[in-house]
Amino acid sequence: MKKVLIILMVFLVFGCAKKYVKETAEGPAKEEAVTEETGISEKEVVEEGLYATKEGKVGEEEITEMAGIAGKEDVFKDIYFDFDKYDIRPDARPTLDEIASWMNKNNNTNIIIEGHCDERGTNEYNLALGEKRARATKDYLISLGVSPSRINIITYGEERPQCTEHNEDCWQLNRRAHFVVTE
Amino acid sequence: MTKKLKIFVFMLVLTFNFSLLTFVDAKVYIDITSPALRRLPISIDSKGDKEAEIVEEIIKDDLFYTGFFVDAAYDVSGAEIVVKIEVKSSDKLEAIVSVVDVIEVRSILRKRYEASRDIIRALAHSVSNDIFEVITGRKGVFRTRIAYIVKSSGKREIYLMDWDGHNPRPLVSGGLISSHHWSMDGRYIVYSSEVGKIWRIYLVDLERYEKSMLFQSKGLNLVGNISNDHQVVFSSSRDGSPEIYIMDISGKGYRKLTRSYGIDVSPVFSPDGSKIAFVSDRGGTPQIYVMSLQGGELKRVTFEGNYNTSPAWSPDGKWIAFVGRINGKNQIFMVKSDGTDLRQLTDTGNNEGPSFSPDGLFIAFDSDRDGTHGIYVMRIDGEGQRRITPRGVIARAPEWSPYK
Repeated sequence: MKKVLIILMVFLVFGCAKKYVKETAEGPAKEEAVTEETGISEKEVVEEGLYATKEGKVGEEEITEMAGIAGKEDVFKDIYFDFDKYDIRPDARPTLDEIASWMNKNNNTNIIIEGHCDERGTNEYNLALGEKRARATKDYLISLGVSPSRINIITYGEERPQCTEHNEDCWQLNRRAHFVVTE
Repeated sequence: MTKKLKIFVFMLVLTFNFSLLTFVDAKVYIDITSPALRRLPISIDSKGDKEAEIVEEIIKDDLFYTGFFVDAAYDVSGAEIVVKIEVKSSDKLEAIVSVVDVIEVRSILRKRYEASRDIIRALAHSVSNDIFEVITGRKGVFRTRIAYIVKSSGKREIYLMDWDGHNPRPLVSGGLISSHHWSMDGRYIVYSSEVGKIWRIYLVDLERYEKSMLFQSKGLNLVGNISNDHQVVFSSSRDGSPEIYIMDISGKGYRKLTRSYGIDVSPVFSPDGSKIAFVSDRGGTPQIYVMSLQGGELKRVTFEGNYNTSPAWSPDGKWIAFVGRINGKNQIFMVKSDGTDLRQLTDTGNNEGPSFSPDGLFIAFDSDRDGTHGIYVMRIDGEGQRRITPRGVIARAPEWSPYK
């Protein structure tokens, strides 16, 4: 009985193998594919080094911040925005009026307006919102007579916060336009 | 049966079946499209040294995470599928895997794998992929990767890691990096970066290990993804307001697709390249819209709440995952691409940046529920939410790669 069982088992296994084997060219190739595939991980390691070296080729623009102009710090205060909004608030106008007036007196200066957001939104939308805030600020200064060519804008979204607490006081401080005076 | 005979039969079985890839056609063990899914009891055992244990653990982790299997050790009715793995390690690793259908008493997979010892995880994941495929008829994602952002002391870098969080390795650094996306063929990664107050779009060619700059202008340039015919969609405020553009992957011939005063951002091609989902505040608050490239028909897709951003298409183009703000926090939602059948998938902490796996079964996202932002994965029904990046690493914005 045992012998019969063994023979049956052998036939079963071979029989099954015959029935279900899909003899395609894929068979052996697939095995090679696995060995090849697993080789790819090693390739990636080489990759990283290359990126590190190619980094340096990106052009960088030098911005020299202007120092030492008397009273500049008092004039270029941050202005603040409401949540999810980019319109200029009434409480921002006195600061912007002062900035416009300073710039009209100091004709050899340019500024960069940075737009910022609090942490609560999502990153990409906050980058766009920050940009709108910087642009609205620029438009307001233009309407006060400052030449557009003297104002550049940049957004940092929620990426460069002033403070990191998770409360409305901190969030308000982060919803800002910030000024950088350059030569 | 004498011991000699037993060994003889075993060797016969091995030698004849050993290097043939045997796939069964016809029988469907798991129909993953079926709504009432029964978990298939499976037993997975290994033989060998500690490498065998590692391989077995990885395979179990892969397969049980899908939610389609239950460990037969815990199932009273016993295993329906038996997996045996034998691992031999010398100067390299060799694994012989057999998968047997216990009910019909037949072998449904026998395969031999070979790999160098340092890529034991890739070998185990390959086995998981084959087991998954022979049982569900679908390709497994266990060798796919996730690209994500790591923040550390002022730097932001794009990293790659395995789908389960292992093997993190840096890919790109330089400037304030944002908006990285894979091309649909997995050959490229595009991303945006601010350097020296200028936002530029870069293309990384993973086949040639090269990086090039695709686009720059004044204003904000945030790139979307790359379609199958190598069109790149992006948002640029070069004309004064963030609008949606497309250009060829060579960086030439860009054209503008939207014209509105407000914000149009975060564009992504649907998998078949016929539509673009994006975020717009043209209705007063940020919402998700879908635009057809043929005919330009525009359809709003989100109507609940006043803040819906970060759209991501499912691989079959039927669903859009996104971030919606509810009760003051960001949560992951899923909605059909026609705006119907809205589902909320998360409810703890802030959850952002959803990205589907290429088989459409999982979503990766980032969450601050444990204090600092880390990358999590979950099944698309919201179950199985688990962290895959280590605590202490600030990791954000996962983008799941296509199949290799």
